[in-house]
Amino acid sequence: MKVKLKSWTAVATWRWVANDDNCGICRMAFDGCCPDCKLPGDDCPLVWGECSHCFHIHCIVKWLNSQQVNQLCPMCRQDWKFKE
Amino acid sequence: MANIAEARIRREFKEVVKSEEVAKCHIKVELVNDNYTELRGEIIGPPDTAYDGGKFILEIKIPDTYPFNPPKVKFATKIWHPNISSVTGAICLDILKDQWAAAMTLRTVLLSLQALLATAEPNDPQDAVVAKQYKENQAIFLQTARHWTNVYAGGPHREQVLEQKVEQVKNMGFEEHRARVALSSANWDPERATESLLNS
Repeated sequence: MKVKLKSWTAVATWRWVANDDNCGICRMAFDGCCPDCKLPGDDCPLVWGECSHCFHIHCIVKWLNSQQVNQLCPMCRQDWKFKE
Repeated sequence: MANIAEARIRREFKEVVKSEEVAKCHIKVELVNDNYTELRGEIIGPPDTAYDGGKFILEIKIPDTYPFNPPKVKFATKIWHPNISSVTGAICLDILKDQWAAAMTLRTVLLSLQALLATAEPNDPQDAVVAKQYKENQAIFLQTARHWTNVYAGGPHREQVLEQKVEQVKNMGFEEHRARVALSSANWDPERATESLLNS
């Protein structure tokens, strides 16, 4: 018997590799997106600080912009530096 | 309200309601309006302090910019504490001002306030009269704080000597709360208290 494939559909799943389930700033799931975005993924990425804490990029940028003096991690209050 | 503030408060509200501390009746949060901008908090005075067993109500207002700015919190229940105004209930606590961080939540704020009741910071006072008494006459401070907790927060420890003094000044024709404030501020010296009431 010969089987002929006429078409096939691939399905893939993905998730962020983060050390927590939720963003500490907006409290939404990392597998979702920040409250200002509609779709999770590359348009609403996660970023890590050198202190190893992780947030939605949109959330941490808003937090850093709201800090007038020192820019500290909202979790551990160490100086915030983006991890390369 | 900005979408992030409301979405976060909704989540936090659920978080507090489910938390262990609520189960043990130490803290509580209720909604005041439907759009999550005003809440009513409640903390129980920590054991082995002058606030033991009192139930303290807090007014919580959530700004549009939350969680990038702290919630506005003040005591609705009258309280005698160096870092809380005995007149307005305004609180002096760093995390509600410049030490706020976006990862803090209603739950951690309420627990921090409970911790403030257990450890006052008399060198960074909100109420200078209370702070002075705390530093110069700790025993009278503790009695006064216990008395206020009993009268305003339903605490179980009565201070009968102080109650009698309030009654005494009240019988001179002064309103009860004013009499209590004057006595508390005068280290419970009835003469000084009436003098200040007559001069105000």
